[in-house]
This record gives sequence, C-alpha cells and structure tokens, in this order.
Amino acid sequence: MKKVTKIVSLTLATFAASFMLQSCGAEGDHPGFEYMPNMYRSASYETYSENPVFENGITAQLSVEGTIPRGFTPFEYDNTLEDFLRAGKELSNPLSLDAKTLAEGKELYGIFCTHCHGAKGDGKGSIKHPVYGAVPDYADAIAPRRSGSTMNEMNDGQIFHTITFGLNAMGPHASQLTQKERWKIVQYVHELQQGSN
Amino acid sequence: MTSKNGKLFSSKVLALFALLFITSINVSTAQNAELGEGLFSSNCASCHYLGDESKKLIGPGLAGHINEKYSTEWLYSWIKNSSELIASGDEQAIEAFEKYNKTQMTAFPQFSNDDIDNILAYIQEGPKEAVPESSVSASDGSNSEAFSTSKGLMGIALALLLLTLLVLVKVKNVLKEAKGEKSVSLLSGAGSWLKANPIFIVFFVIFTMLYGGKVVWDGLLTVGVQQGYQPEQPIAFSHKIHAGENGVDCNYCHSGARHSKSAGVPSANVCMNCHTYISSGTETGTTEIAKIYEAIGFDPETRTYIENYEQKPIEWVRIHNLPDLAYYNHSQHVNVAGIECQTCHGPVEEMDVVEQYAPLTMAWCIDCHKETKVDTDNPYYHDLNENWVKKYHGEDITVDMIGGLECGKCHY
Repeated sequence: MKKVTKIVSLTLATFAASFMLQSCGAEGDHPGFEYMPNMYRSASYETYSENPVFENGITAQLSVEGTIPRGFTPFEYDNTLEDFLRAGKELSNPLSLDAKTLAEGKELYGIFCTHCHGAKGDGKGSIKHPVYGAVPDYADAIAPRRSGSTMNEMNDGQIFHTITFGLNAMGPHASQLTQKERWKIVQYVHELQQGSN
Repeated sequence: MTSKNGKLFSSKVLALFALLFITSINVSTAQNAELGEGLFSSNCASCHYLGDESKKLIGPGLAGHINEKYSTEWLYSWIKNSSELIASGDEQAIEAFEKYNKTQMTAFPQFSNDDIDNILAYIQEGPKEAVPESSVSASDGSNSEAFSTSKGLMGIALALLLLTLLVLVKVKNVLKEAKGEKSVSLLSGAGSWLKANPIFIVFFVIFTMLYGGKVVWDGLLTVGVQQGYQPEQPIAFSHKIHAGENGVDCNYCHSGARHSKSAGVPSANVCMNCHTYISSGTETGTTEIAKIYEAIGFDPETRTYIENYEQKPIEWVRIHNLPDLAYYNHSQHVNVAGIECQTCHGPVEEMDVVEQYAPLTMAWCIDCHKETKVDTDNPYYHDLNENWVKKYHGEDITVDMIGGLECGKCHY
C-alpha cells in the first residue's frame, strides 16, 4: 500500500511541476523567467536604460550644444528661403559621381524617400494619408515653387538643403542621413528629375 | 540645351492636352466637386486641410469662408501665380503672404478657371464623411474566435462521449435490474475493473511520468528565452500601419541598423517628420499621436513647439534583449551580410503589437551561421574572399567556415 501512495504522490508532483513550469516562457506582458539574471543584465548602463547619475534620468544624453562629432563639417546654412537659395548658388555635389554612388543613392532613396516621393520620383508614394497625397513630381516643369524655379530645376545645393531641413510637409532628415548619404541621394534625384517614367 | 527645351516643350504640350481634356469634360458641368476633389488631393492637400482657417497645415485651412473673403477673380489669379499678385501690390494678397511667415504658395499656371471652379466647389462642399475602418480588429476577432471554436468543439465532443458512457451504464443497470441482478454504480464499477486490470495503472503511471517529464523539460528550456514576449507599449504604435500598409522602410526609422551595433529606437524627431502634419491616426484617432506631442511639447493646433517645455522620454519597453554576455552587431548583419530584418524579427510589418519572433538562443545563432552562405562577391572583402575561395576549392562557403563559430566572435 505504501508503494502505491509513493507512486501516486510522485505522479501528482510531476503534474504540479509541469503546470508550474508552463508559465516559465514569455507571453504577453510577461517576459518569462531568467536563470541567474546577473549574467544576463548589463552591469553598466545601456544606451536606452534609465540612469540615476543624470538629472533627467536618461543614459542617452544629447551632446553639449555647439559640439560637433570628429570629422564632421557643419552645414552653415539656416532653414530659411534665403539660405535655401544661397545653398543652391554655392554648393555642388562634392562626391566623385559614378555608377556605384548612383546605385548607392538609389538604395538610400528607396529607404528614405520612396514612401512619399514614389519609386519614380513622381510623388506617388505608398503613404496613404491625404497630406502626402499631393507630393510634387521631381520632373514637374510647369509650376514654379516658392524659390521661383520648378521641381525639375532644383539644383544640388537646393536638394541638399531640402533633405537637411525639410520643406513644407517634408520633415528634416539630417538625423537619419549622413552628409555623404545625402549627396548620394541628390545625385539620384537628379536622375529622377529627367522624368524617365 | 536643345534636348532640355524639347523636353520642356513636350511636357507643355502634354499639360495642354491634359487641360483640354479636363476642360472638355467641364463643359457639361460648370462646377464639378468630384473633379475638384481629384485636383485638390493631388495638388493642394499637402499644404491645405479642409476646414476652418485656423486648421493650418502649411497654409490655412480651406472651407466656404474663402469664397466670402475673396472674389473668384482674386482666387483665380492667386492660385495661378500668387507672387505676381503680391508684387502687383494687392492688399489682400500681401496680408495673406505676411500672415503665413512669407511662405509663398506654389504657382499653378496649368490650372484653367474651370479647374479652379471645381476645386472651389469641392472646398465649399467639404469632405465626405469617412467610413471608419475596423478591418484590423475584425480580423483579430475572427482569429481568436476560430481558436475558441476548435476548443469548444473538443469540449462538446468530450461531453457527448461522457453522456454516452453515462447513458450506457444506466441502460446496463436497468437491464440488470430487470434480470433481477444488483446494479453497479459507475465508480465502483471502474474500481473493480482497475483491480482486475492492474496493468492499466502501470501504463497510466508510465505515461503520466513521461508526459510530465517532457513538459518539465520543455518548461526548463524556456527559462531565459523570451520568444513570444509581447509587452504593451506606452504608445500603441502599430508597425502594421507604418511599415505594412504605408510601406515605410524599416531603416527609415531604425536608421542605426546600417551604421551601428544597435538598430536604435527612433527619437521623437523622426516621428515628427510625418506627425508634424498627421495628428490623427487611422485606428486610434488623436489619442496615441498626442502622446508624442506631450512628450516633446508640440502644439498640434498651431503646429509649433512649445518654448521651454520640459520634455519627457517615451519609455518604450525593450523586447529583443540579448544577454550581456553575447555581442551582436546590427550593421555587420544588415550591411555586410545583407540579411533582411524579417529573418530575425519576423513579419513585423504585419504586427500591430510587436512580439519577439525568434528565440535568440545561442543554438539559434549557430544554426543560422551553419546554413548561411557567405557572399564572396562582396567587393569590400575582395582579397579575403579570394583566399577563402582558394582554400575551399570553390565550394559553397558558410559563415561557420570563416570563423562564425569562434567563441571570441560573440563572447569577449
């Protein structure tokens, strides 16, 4: 009889253990259990973790105003129409342009521009919101914009200024694209201004 | 030069034909709001909302009030070329120009008076009531419904079986009583059956132990593995709407993936590239987008940032988290290997709420390193690749063959 009780209790224990362990895995808001978390969790503060050292509690601090990264050339233009026109007069693409940079520009254009400007640059992107339904065609030669020129007349500096600061409903993309990447896109936009479609 | 002129000429001719086409339709209906809607949404909508003047986008909101404020003749010349009108010293034109930070409106010389009439008719009429979309929640509902019905069917089948058993026992007892024998209850019957067949108990115990053992083993394997983790985020941001329906590339927001170890959670300024002007979402209206504005201090009414606002971080809940003892670099996988984001993160563009798709265990990393072929055409590693190809006599080279399983590559 004792033997039977032993077997029964063992069976029950296995059942109980299996039910408890079923909740070890992650589901919904529950990240699951960890074994020895101190091997897993970083002892140092991670990029996006909270931080008691700084007053605002953030690890990812902004750099001090006025500082620039090593090797970075500041863009000495403001977000104004005057500087837009000035950039158009003074700047030209510093990259040596070839098929390789054009291909890279096309890839970057695909990531950062197509959803509004369309793969052909005709302004027919995939964004469904009405505000981004009236994006101008790069090849448009009819309607003069505020700069006095049409879309297909935009030059190097003007396009670079636009990517950097945004224009009308377009936001600034300086934080997402390095200057070199912007120049590659400028090169590809010139291609689209030809309106090959 | 001549080719450019030629192109200009041909596009002008095209535009003329387009105008002729549009105007020829307009002859029958002097003011056609439907045509106006098409023109408005493809030419005006990125700078003007429909509605009160205060509903500013780039320029003022447009509604019936503009017909009262301005004469139709004035509107014709304003829309066709506002800078000319301003230069001519027109008081109303100068006033409008000054009011909107001297932002000049794009000229639309290609519009005929009829086109403008149609646009004005559309503006006067206002937008048609949009039908609220509920497709997403509907599909979610049907999924869980299908799941619960399969479970329900199982339950019903079990209940039916139990009922049949009870009925059979009852029938047997009734027959026994009719024969004059003693009836047997279900429990005592089962007890005496088990006594007569002890082998069943043995099999039952063995089965239970094996099954239980497997469940325990599987359970232990999920310790520290967060596959399926799907926490609620502070803002109900839907990747399905952004990356799926609107086709925004992953790298647009997670621009760090191409350059650095971390793919990066986009800072709010990236949200604001679009949400400066889109303040109402398709699923949640204004509530969720307003949380971005609250974090960074943006007034959606005036579309300006509030000065001296104490900005608060948006506390996203981290989902994918490798243990600190493992090193992983996004740019190496995205840029050099050219691996799709979805390989590790799953179909994020279909997820309303993101969940951890892959187990992110070491075995999972190693499996992939054993299967993935190295792109030996990568020009950056030309010399290195040449050596590898020579060493392996041109056979397929996988990541593990070039050191992808070395401990120090990921643990140091």
